[in-house]
Amino acid sequence: MRGRYSSARFLRALTFGAAPLLCAAIAQAEGIPIPHGTLELIAENQWIAAGHKFDLGLRFQLEKGWHIYWFNPGDSGDPPRVKWQLPTGLTDGAMEWPAPRRLETSSSIVDYGYEDAVLLIVPLHVNANLATQPTARINAKVKLLVCSHEMCIPGKAELSLTLPIKSQPPVPDARNVALFSATRKSLPRPPPGSWRFNVTDANDSFVLSAKLGHQIAGHPITQGIFFPLDESQIENAAPQKFQPVVTGFRLTLRKSDQLLKPIARLKGVLVVSSDESYLIDVPVSKPGVARGGSGDGTRAVQ
Amino acid sequence: MRRSTLCPRLLYPMLVALVLCAAPPLISAAKVGAAAPDFTGTASNGKTFRLADYRGKYVVLEWHNNGCPYVRKQYNSGNMQRLQKQWTGQGVVWFTILSSAPGKQGYVTASEENDYLAKMQAAPTAALLDPTGEIGHLYDAKTSPHMFVINPQGVVIYDGAIDDKPTTELSDVPGATNYVNLALEQAMAGKQVETPATRPYGCSVKYVDATH
Repeated sequence: MRGRYSSARFLRALTFGAAPLLCAAIAQAEGIPIPHGTLELIAENQWIAAGHKFDLGLRFQLEKGWHIYWFNPGDSGDPPRVKWQLPTGLTDGAMEWPAPRRLETSSSIVDYGYEDAVLLIVPLHVNANLATQPTARINAKVKLLVCSHEMCIPGKAELSLTLPIKSQPPVPDARNVALFSATRKSLPRPPPGSWRFNVTDANDSFVLSAKLGHQIAGHPITQGIFFPLDESQIENAAPQKFQPVVTGFRLTLRKSDQLLKPIARLKGVLVVSSDESYLIDVPVSKPGVARGGSGDGTRAVQ
Repeated sequence: MRRSTLCPRLLYPMLVALVLCAAPPLISAAKVGAAAPDFTGTASNGKTFRLADYRGKYVVLEWHNNGCPYVRKQYNSGNMQRLQKQWTGQGVVWFTILSSAPGKQGYVTASEENDYLAKMQAAPTAALLDPTGEIGHLYDAKTSPHMFVINPQGVVIYDGAIDDKPTTELSDVPGATNYVNLALEQAMAGKQVETPATRPYGCSVKYVDATH
């Protein structure tokens, strides 16, 4: 246990030591205080234009040692929850969650979340006949839980952002555009079309098997960590066994003790490297049950 | 995730390290339908309690951390105390268990816990002090609150959340479906417990970090 912590800390220290210049930009950001951090509402573009999709972002920055939670928080915690108040003609879409990381709170508790900083992007749909007011005021009420390994503190924040409404196509805001594009790269995406997944229910485990088909040369998948979208499917704290096989890989996930009924599908995010994660949504079959055609094994999570 | 968004190449080795050094196989002794693991605990009042001594009675285990906002929701609304009074009044044994390590949220001394019980007008059978996390790990308690119900035969019949509203809002208490009530009511009526396991919600149990 101690060894695990110290190796994680060592790597974390390395990360800080080697932080690229972009990371330095973090320190300059302004935001309103949340427990052990700040939160800021930012926009990718300088103005809103009728009919043009538009991305907002909630930019969380946390003190070292504190974290917030992913969509599925894992064994404990709760993700940030947002209530939007938008002018007529603007509608908020589903929040886009970057791939989380495992937060080993103790030997038996693993949460899924974000440390240091994260941008949660929320797409806004802009009506084609958006009223011709000069500005739009966007309000967000955020409730969240911020935790360290020692304690959890609830937080609330009321954020607002006023943006001009113009008729010409929007222009990116130079202060934010790099952060938005970097964050998009870290979003889980649908797996390549040639990949095939299946999941078998093997008593106390689910086995996620991947056939990678025509894999890009020089790009083998050597690691994988699965983050379930639904709570109580897998035992979050159990080690995940990754096995490379000739055609791809197999990942063995221990079932949750709270899972007493069979599940129809296993859904989640498979992280294979720092900037590569995939949306997984695969039907669960019993061992020995023939699988259907090869084409229906994978589906992007909505 | 800054490492992924802004410092992309650095997350991967850390993820790998976490997985390679992952925990040894977990022994989770407490399982719905299986015998509840026996334990002996020292209460804040100085008395010793052994689970096996309560065979023949229903037993509720409540994992507690007085600083956790999810626990405060239950206590500041008076809900947890109401449940404790209601069920101990019907012969149920109720152990509040404190598995926070010294220096962490929810760790209290025996006298601090006695003051808290008095101030909150809490009414468990006993509040067991478990700063080493021994009982917590035996039950694989994940959160505060995390609730277990054990039947008179010593079998775990419920493992999970206190209710179906995983929030910190006091206003969510009145409309919530309380799973502990359901388990006890259904079991006492001779019925199957309809919802024997749920995902517990709350703060992680603030266990001692490592075996120093």
